[in-house]
Amino acid sequence: MDRITSRPGRVLVHIVLALFAVYSLVPFFWTTLQSFKTFKDAFSRAPILIFQPTWQNYQEVWIRSLPDAGSSAGYIILIAAAVITCLMLFARYIPVNPAWIYIGGLIGYGVLLWAIPQQVYMAKYYNYFINTIVVTVFTIITSISIGCLAGYALARYAGMAAVVILIAALAFRALPRLAFVLPYFWIGSLTNLLDTQILVIVALVAVNQPFTIWMLRSFFMEVPRDLEESAMVDGANRLTSFLNVIVPVAWPGIISTALFTLLLAYNEFLLVRVLTQTNWTLPVAISRYTGAEDPAQLTLAAAASVSATIPIIVVILFFQKHLVKGLAAGAVKG
Amino acid sequence: MKRNAFFAFASPSIVIMFALMVLPLLMAVFLSFQYMTFRNITSPEFVGLRNFIEIFEDQRFWRSFEFTALYIAIVVPSWVVIGFVVALFLDQVSGLVRGVYLSIFLLPFIIVPIIGTIMFKQLWEPSGLLTWLYQQITGARFRVNETSVKTLIIVFGIWYVTPFTIVVYFAGFQTLPVEMFEAASIDGATRMQKIRHIVIPYVSSLTIFILLFSIMDSYRVFDSVFVLSELNPQFKADTVMTYTFLTAMQVQRLGKANAMAIITVIGIMVVLVPFLYLMYKEQIEER
Repeated sequence: MDRITSRPGRVLVHIVLALFAVYSLVPFFWTTLQSFKTFKDAFSRAPILIFQPTWQNYQEVWIRSLPDAGSSAGYIILIAAAVITCLMLFARYIPVNPAWIYIGGLIGYGVLLWAIPQQVYMAKYYNYFINTIVVTVFTIITSISIGCLAGYALARYAGMAAVVILIAALAFRALPRLAFVLPYFWIGSLTNLLDTQILVIVALVAVNQPFTIWMLRSFFMEVPRDLEESAMVDGANRLTSFLNVIVPVAWPGIISTALFTLLLAYNEFLLVRVLTQTNWTLPVAISRYTGAEDPAQLTLAAAASVSATIPIIVVILFFQKHLVKGLAAGAVKG
Repeated sequence: MKRNAFFAFASPSIVIMFALMVLPLLMAVFLSFQYMTFRNITSPEFVGLRNFIEIFEDQRFWRSFEFTALYIAIVVPSWVVIGFVVALFLDQVSGLVRGVYLSIFLLPFIIVPIIGTIMFKQLWEPSGLLTWLYQQITGARFRVNETSVKTLIIVFGIWYVTPFTIVVYFAGFQTLPVEMFEAASIDGATRMQKIRHIVIPYVSSLTIFILLFSIMDSYRVFDSVFVLSELNPQFKADTVMTYTFLTAMQVQRLGKANAMAIITVIGIMVVLVPFLYLMYKEQIEER
């Protein structure tokens, strides 16, 4: 639509947008402040905005007991993490194939996550964090590989079977999680699979499958048919032409879908809450801090919440373009 | 693509959806006719329709249903209106400013809903920022009671999903036909007239899409209600979903909870079937 040009009009536009930004950010702002406060500051009746910040809450959430004073292991770990992150952020400026840097970086992170508890006695929260990463990563891998095959097939096959599956998937997407989760709980109790990561991962893959195949299908529809047809004329069979020709072209769309799968797996509360008793992921673990009557938990809950949000914000900053694209694609195509 | 190739490619996904969505639904139907608690989980007892009768006589279920209806009635129109208006304003800026605002606006939608709720809840703790502000403005202390908990649940519901409608409308506005606005300007249409007669009709299909998904999603709302109603457990502000959860995991009446889930599924399907039919026709025409 055409722009407002009058000066008061422009000022109004910016005031409205700024106010809405404040409205969006207030809870983040306040929780971050609370997480750096001492117990006493956090509980003053009139809110304190200027105070002596403390790391105490974060330390208590993550670490059970500190290593001996003077131990350099902690610093080495922090520096290594910073170096890996920088390398990955600026991969495109380094004259090596970025794919190798990303793979190396991910392996580096894995080694770090393994090395930290060897050096420092970590709190339970660290186990939940690792657990969340395991569940999220395996959910993404399984969900996307199955979903890609199905999404591609649904984009190319014109028969009735495809229509039926698409419509059924849409109906499943609309149904409440509880309708599926309670039977999972029953199966889990009968088979002793309750409280295992496998059950959580399989359940997450299943409940997100309808969304995944719809989204991937919409991206595969954009890939011109001539591409794989010419590859198949050259003698490749459908699977190899799919893997070598179609997947690279549809890659940005696959990344978008993977990003949404990541968010869905990382965010899942209800399913994990029902299917686990100790092997929690972060959302369930954090909700435990708030359920307790003890007000001392308040600052810990703040620190735990901020800690769990930072990885997501980093991932989003890294893939922001894909996120907006995915939201818009999902919206425009229904 | 041939039929065989289609099934070869799609079978893993079909198997998973059948085994973990179709079968569980059938199991839920089976369990809804059983009396089952955590004690007799291996040997449920058939009770016929008794679970359903019990639910229909359960005052708490009807209260939770009322609150869910109220939630939908307030939250869904707010999403549409606020999202539309903010997207209009966002459309007025461009470049980096637009990108920064868009990222900020998206935050409530991106973060873990449970964590968003906890952050929101921190504002309303006795030492929270908004508790204090509330006291400064109204002069009264902020009290946690049924009304205030329900209000907070609704306000949070509006806060964390509006970004989605903003992005959807914003993406829709980018495809508006420029010529129509030029023609309207020549005819001397005011900005409000353009919004009323060009923009709103143009995005009406998006509005229907948003309405449909938001009604279904707000019916399923769970995480935020679960955390916020902990503010004071005495005033349970249950929705149908949280009440089902409590029946299953705390009261440990798994059969009854499954029956509630089945009632919910039937309710959603009634809303959904016309839409599914439309999608079906659209898919058939595409081929």
